[in-house]
This record gives sequence, structure tokens and C-alpha cells, in this order.
Amino acid sequence: MSIVKFNDVTRVYTSGDHELKALNQVSFALEEGKFVVILGPSGAGKSTLLNLLGGLDSPTEGTIVVNGRDISTLSDNELADYRAATVGFVFQFYNLIPTLTVYENVRLVSQIAPDALDAKEMIAEVGLSDHLSNFPSELSGGEQQRISIARALAKNPKILLCDEPTGALDSETGVMVLKLLLKMAKDYGKTIVIVTHNQSIAKMADVVIRVKNGKIRSISEQTDPMSADEVEW
Amino acid sequence: MLIRKLLRTAWSYKAQFISMIIMITLGMGIFLGFNMEWRTIEVDTGKFFDDTCYADYRLYSEKGFAKDDLDRIAAIDGVDAATRYLSVNLDLKGEKNKSLALDVSEDFNVSTFIVTDGAEYDANSDGFWLSDKFAAANDYEIGDALTLEFQGTEINGRIIGLIKSGEHMICVADNNQMMPDYISFGYVYISPKKLASIVKEKIKSDYAKELRKANVPEGFIDDSLTELLITDDMLSEATDMVFAQINLLSDLPKEALEDSVKEALGRTIMITSKDDHVVYKEAMGEADEGKTMGSVLPVLFLAIAILTMVTTMHRIATKEKLQIGTLKALGFKNRRILIHYTSYGLFIGISGTAIGIALGYAICKLLMSEDGMMGTYFDMPDWSAAIPSFCYPVMIGTVLLLTLISFLSVRQQLKGTAADALRPYAPKKMRRVFLERFGIWNRLQFGTKWNIRDLSRHKSRSAMTLVGIIGCMVLMVGGLGMRDTMAGFLDLLDNDISAYTTKVNLIDNADIKKAKALSSELNGDWESLSGISLDADTVSLDVVHNPNGLMNIIDENNHPIRLSDDGVYLCLRLKDKANIGDTIEFSPYGSSDTYRVKVIGYNRAIMTESVTMTDTLADKLGIDYTLTSIYTDKTADEIESSDQISGKQDKKQLMDTFDSFVQIMDSMVIILVIAAVILGIVVLYNLGLMSYVERSRELATLKVLGFRNRDIGKLLISQNIWLTVIGVLAGLPAGVGVLKWLLTALASEYEMKLMLGPLTYCVSVLLTFGVSLLVGLMVARKNKKIDMVEALKGAE
Repeated sequence: MSIVKFNDVTRVYTSGDHELKALNQVSFALEEGKFVVILGPSGAGKSTLLNLLGGLDSPTEGTIVVNGRDISTLSDNELADYRAATVGFVFQFYNLIPTLTVYENVRLVSQIAPDALDAKEMIAEVGLSDHLSNFPSELSGGEQQRISIARALAKNPKILLCDEPTGALDSETGVMVLKLLLKMAKDYGKTIVIVTHNQSIAKMADVVIRVKNGKIRSISEQTDPMSADEVEW
Repeated sequence: MLIRKLLRTAWSYKAQFISMIIMITLGMGIFLGFNMEWRTIEVDTGKFFDDTCYADYRLYSEKGFAKDDLDRIAAIDGVDAATRYLSVNLDLKGEKNKSLALDVSEDFNVSTFIVTDGAEYDANSDGFWLSDKFAAANDYEIGDALTLEFQGTEINGRIIGLIKSGEHMICVADNNQMMPDYISFGYVYISPKKLASIVKEKIKSDYAKELRKANVPEGFIDDSLTELLITDDMLSEATDMVFAQINLLSDLPKEALEDSVKEALGRTIMITSKDDHVVYKEAMGEADEGKTMGSVLPVLFLAIAILTMVTTMHRIATKEKLQIGTLKALGFKNRRILIHYTSYGLFIGISGTAIGIALGYAICKLLMSEDGMMGTYFDMPDWSAAIPSFCYPVMIGTVLLLTLISFLSVRQQLKGTAADALRPYAPKKMRRVFLERFGIWNRLQFGTKWNIRDLSRHKSRSAMTLVGIIGCMVLMVGGLGMRDTMAGFLDLLDNDISAYTTKVNLIDNADIKKAKALSSELNGDWESLSGISLDADTVSLDVVHNPNGLMNIIDENNHPIRLSDDGVYLCLRLKDKANIGDTIEFSPYGSSDTYRVKVIGYNRAIMTESVTMTDTLADKLGIDYTLTSIYTDKTADEIESSDQISGKQDKKQLMDTFDSFVQIMDSMVIILVIAAVILGIVVLYNLGLMSYVERSRELATLKVLGFRNRDIGKLLISQNIWLTVIGVLAGLPAGVGVLKWLLTALASEYEMKLMLGPLTYCVSVLLTFGVSLLVGLMVARKNKKIDMVEALKGAE
């Protein structure tokens, strides 16, 4: 069953007289529990796609149905609730709250997510139980990203959205984070969507969507994706 | 090109730039305004005093001064000019509750006037020169006739000129009147020739009375008969009696003058310097009051403005770090970049100071102009606006300081290589806060923890916010508290001190037997005020007889004192002179007698510095005194006129003169409260915005995670509210402290007890919270516009 359905989605940005079609009549569907990579060069429209899917932005035309609900016409508050319950984010620069400790950062989402998971358990899953009371600034980049994954999953969302999650990490740490991401997604049965321009990551995906100039160039399913260890970085 | 960048940058930080300019403007404007006020008082009154030859010293003699006395005094080395002088309060005939001071300056070289309309001074004229303000308030014009009542005789004449006189620049009937009331009291000058004719008339009418008493038939008593009986000697003796005062111009110190006068006349004469004359004393008191006000509140504003500047400039410089790096990488020399960013401070300093000067002038004019708040108080011709000289270095210093602040903020960012500068600003490392050591910490909500850590992470911002709120509180408590204190004081005066209906003023040297008889006839209380010398200071001796409780003496706590005959009471301003139980020694003016008496208490005196005792004690000590006023329950109409009475004043009328004083107070309070609100809004908005911008990434993250706008708004507002709670808790006592300090500083003028009504507390606290909440909402509203996508791009 499709968990995500884009129907003729167009997103136009206007600044002054200038119009930019970031996405142009895009339609596709994603199956639940899949690992999806959206691939494309800078400015192709992949981040726009992720932002629309994540409820950070609304389309100019078309509909987006997630988990059976059209999110393209939701109000600000409804979108906030949607983000709280349905999607989890992992960002390139982690975006942890600097004034909250590791534990507090993960625990934070229990205030808004209806089915939140236990924060300590999630931190244990990413292997950082020793750092519960550390502040983000006291952790390495890889550690911060692991906390960010723990936070995203603690919301117990349907879909995990990752924007260049290894972009700020060295390749070794990047692989470790990706492995963790995939393992966690599998263990908790989540659909995972990664936006990247890194071709290597695409090799690990069940589905690869290639985007260029605001249009989908191809959608390919890979029946036998590589594991993180097999991929050449 | 860089100038274009300066303007664009200023525009992109417009909220900060504008609020900094407002702060500097407010600080500078209020600083200048209040300081200009007192300086203008000094300059304008000084000029007016010079123009009207305001007397430096006044010599008083109950027996009057002979022509010969004047010549001897004028001959003293160091006396520049001297004249015999008369000033006496007289009722205006045919008008209820209106009186005029009748002044004569015999030689018209001291204590003169300037003519604003009509005839110039002429020593032989028969007309009246009337106070122009009194004329305007009562619709008198040149040519109108006036009749004054002078000890049973009438003085008639026409108004020939409208004038202003330095002697009456603050036109009050006596020390008890705080504010002029031009409808009920003014002054009039006549020529010495007219005075002589009045004296002659008086002698004639006194003769006529005597003749009638001696049963001389009415037909014989006529002008020609009485005229025959008057000799030149009689006339000059009577005139001498009338001139109870010599006014003189001299730079001599008081002691030296006293000695010279004693030598010249062979007797001790009561001499008061201008410092003791109500007009000069009040004017200088007003200037001192301005100095006091000018040294606290404006400095507070200026300090807050400069502190805000420090934090804001630092923030802007760190935010501009990347741009600074880019300019550096492009090849701009450090010096150029420094000059560029330093010019921000200069720009803000110069604009703020320039608008501040305009605001200062406006505030000064609001206070000091003919239509301004002091317009009723001072009756003088010229109203300028003068800046005290120390204000110039303060203005220049402020601009330089602001420039220095931006210079230092930028220099910090310029250290190291271009690559260093291009690296984004690294935020401070997070440290555990003190509270986290306690178990209660874990029970706090995230928002609370977040806010507490955020406050401790940005200490200077938090401190500045606190200073802003405390400043806001201090201004409100100070302003409203002043009003409460004043209102309480008037209430005290109206109800506790003065329970009488009418105050009857007696003539100078009233006959003590007649006066006492009059007092008992009116069922009145009475007092006698006279000058005494206490430790070389001139103070008043207040002999009180108040069995009816119509005029009360109150203690430090504003409770009436039942006066004891065992000793004297010192007013609070004289508290330093002696402890209770000590013996003080004083001597009445013009007498070589000294009296020693025990101090048994302190009392709160309204206007004059005084030593108070009962008449019983005064009689026991053998002090020679005459009654000056009788206080009675009877209305003015019920009191028959008598040759002992110089005027009647009903209490309501006296209290009404305070109204305009209260109005001035109200306007000042309104200015202060408005200033407090603007200060609060500007400081809090500026810092709130800064906090919002600094946290926008965190706020965007919260939003992405699924927090609603309202939740995030609450988070922002709650931080403001906490700071406000702390600020209010600290600001209340600080406000009361400043008020106490102000009252002590002003104590030389009035003895007031600090009083704060519950309404003051409520209004101050509620307004401060209101401001904080309003600003919180203004900032929180912005979070709707947080661009989640933009804020999440780029590394911190």
C-alpha cells in the first residue's frame, strides 16, 4: 500500500517578478517500509520535495497524500501536528537544541508526539547512554547525528526524512551513521526517505528517485540493494 | 560603496538601529532637558534679578529707618546701593479675597521693576504700577482705578503701568503659600511721593479720630484744621516708621555687613541675605531640585542606553563576522573595515544625540516657558533655554563612547586571519547552571530548563533586560510615589495640621494685648513667628498657643503633638543641631539677649526651618514676641475688621494655590511614566528581538519537530515574564530607594514623609508587566514567520 502519494505537485517560488518552478507536475507513490533515496544535483528540486513531504511547505498546485491524509491543504497548526505525529527529521547539521542535554533533546519530542517512545531506550539504541547529560556541544559530529536519529525515531513517526544526513561527516562516520539509520528503520519498521546528491548512498536504496530541473527523471526499484559495507565510498 | 553598505546594513538591522537611536535620544533628551531646566532657571532669574536690582540684603527694623540711617548704611564700604523700602500686604477694596503687596522703593536704585506696558517709573507720580499677571488674571487695564485698605485709611489711584518685579518673581503672600495665585494675590508699586501723601492722610485721619474722642464738634474737624496741626517733623517721623526695611546691593559677606551695620547705626539690626528671601530661596531651591532630578533619572536613561548599545553592537558585530571575513578576503585592509563598522556607532551616536538635543529643548521648553509648567511659578519677562557647560563634554563623550564601543566590538572580530574571520561565530559552550545541582531541576519542564539555560548562556542580554525592567519600575515608582507623597503631604496639611477655617494675618508689631483679645474673641489659636539666630543660622521661632487644635504641630510620623511647656521642638531639618535632651542657645534678631532651652522633641515643619515652643514657655523665659497670625473657625466674613488685622485668608483658598503645584507634579509624573513605558518597550523589544534572532535556529527546529506557534510563543513570553518578575521584585525596592534619596535631597525645601499608595504599587507592577507582555507578544508574533527551511540550512 502506498504511504505517500504525490499527484501533479507543482511548487512555484516567486520573488518580485521572478518565478521559479522548483517542482513541476511531479507525481509518484512510495510503499510503506521502503528505503527511498531522492537523488539529484543542487537546485534540482529534491529539497523542495522533502520539505513538501515533511509538511514544512505546501504545494502551489496538486495534492500530497500521506498515510491516507491530504496534507496539501492543512493549516499551520494541523501541519505542526502532522510533523509531530507522522514524520521524523534528520538534518545535515543535526539541529539539536544547544541548551538542552542529550537526554532532554530526545525527551523533548514526548511533549508533542502522541506515541513517543522511551527517550533513554532510544539513546541506548544509538549507543550513547553514557552521554545522557552531555550538551550537544560536548559531542562529536557523528555522535550528534546519532542523537538526532534517536530524536527523530523517538517520535515513533511513520516516515523518517533525512536531508543529506552524512553531508557534514567524514566517510567513516558517515557509513556508521547510515548503517545505524538503516538498522533502526528496519527494526522499527519505518519508511525512510533520504535526500542526497551522493550516488553511493543510492546503491543501498530500495527505490531511487532521480530529480532534475524540478521534474522526476526516473524512478527505479532495486531488488537487491547493497549493504553499507559493500558500497564503495 | 561601503557607505551604501552601511546604509543597507543599518536598514537590515533597522529594529536594533532605531531602538538604539531612540534609547540615545531618550537618554540624551531627558538628560539635557532636566539639566537645561535648572540652568535656565539660574540664567533667566539671574538676568531678571540684575535687571530689577534685586536686593542682596534686607535690613529690618520694627521702629523703621530714618533718612539718616540710610545715609550711614549707604556709606558703608562695600555697599553699592541702598534704599529705604516698604512692602506690606493690603486688601483690595471692593474685592473679596484679593490682596496686593504694596511696595515702595524710595530711591528706586534697589528692588526696582521693569515696565511691560504703560508709564515708566516716576518718583512724583500719583499712580499705581500693577503686576501685569495680576492685571491679566483680574481683567485690570491701564487707567482703571484701584482702592487699597491701609490700616483703616484708603489708598486711591489709577493704574498707570503694568510691571514685573524681581522682588515678587515668585508671587506668594507668605511662606505658607507654595504656588502663586494671580487671581487672589499680586503686587503694586507706588512712588515715595504718593507714600508721603498717604502717610499724611493717615496722620490727619488719626488726628480727626482723636479730636472726635475729645468731643470736638464735628463741624470744626476738617482738612484745613488737621493740616495745620501736622509739622514736617511729624511727617518725616511717621514716614520713617513706615520704612521698616532697607534693601541694599552688596557683595559683602553677611557677618562683615552685620558688623559694619552695627558700627554705623550703633544697634543690632536683623539682616537677612537674599538666600533667606522667599523669592531667591525658592528659585534656587527649584534649580537645586532640577539639579537633583537632573542627576538621577537622566543618568539612569543614558546609562541604560549605553549599556544597550554595548550588547547590541557586540551582537551585530558577531552577526556580521562572515561579512567582515568576506571584506577581509576581498583584500580590504583592517583599517578600512574598522572605520566602516566603527562608523555605525558614530552614526547612531550622532543621530541619537542630534534628536536628543531637540528633545532636550522640547522638554526644557515644556518645563520652562511662559506657557510651560514653570510659567505660573516664575513671573519673569525672559524665557530662554540654557545648556549647562558640562553637558557639551557629556554629549561629545557619549558619541565618542558609542563609536568606541563599535570599534572595540569589530576589532575583536578582526583578530586573526581572513580565514578565521570567515569561519562562522562559534557560540559559547553550554555549561550546567547552578540550579542543576538540585533535585528540583529534573522536575522542571523543558521550556523552563531551556529558558533558564538560555538566560545563563546569554548573561549580558539577560542582565540588560533586567536593567531595563528595573529602570522602568524605578521611574514609575519614583514618579507615582512623588505624587503620592505630595498628595499625602497636602492631605496632612489640609486635615491634620490645619483644622481652621480662616487664618487672620496680623499687622507687623501688632499690639499683643489687643491681638490676644482678638484671638479669644474669635475662639482662635495663634502663633508668633519671628527670626532668631541659632548657631549663626537664621531660623524661625514659632511660639504657639493652640488649645483649640485649629493649628497643629506634627511629629515625624505625622501625628499631632500635644506641646509640652518643658522645652522646645526642633523641625526635622534642624535635627542635626541637637539631640533630644540637649540644650540649645538662641538669640532673637535685633536683640542681644540669649536664651538657653532644652530640646524635648522634633516636629515636621512645612516650609520654614523653625524652633517651636508654647507661649507658656516663651512667657516663662521672658521672650518678647508679638502675634503674627490667628487661626479661627469663623469665616472671613464673620470677622470684623480691626486695625490689628492686615489680611484674612481662608484655608480653602490657601489649599487651592496648591492645585497648580499638583498639576505640575502630575505633568512630571506623566512624563516619567511615558518615559518609563518607552524605555521598557524599547529595551525589551530590542533585546527580545536579539534573543529571537539568536534562537531562530532553535525555534525553527522546534517548529520542524512539530511544536505549534503558540507553544513556541509561550516559550518566548515566559522568558520575558520571568525576567519581569525578577525585575519587578528588584525594581520596587530600588524605586522606593531612589524616591527616599530624592526626598532627602529635596529635604532642604520641604519636609515630606515618603508615602506610597497601594495604587502606585499596582499601577507600576501592572504597567511593567503589561509592557513586558506586550513586547513578548510582539516578538512572539514573529515566530509565525520563521522560515523553517532557511533556518535549518547552514551549520551553527
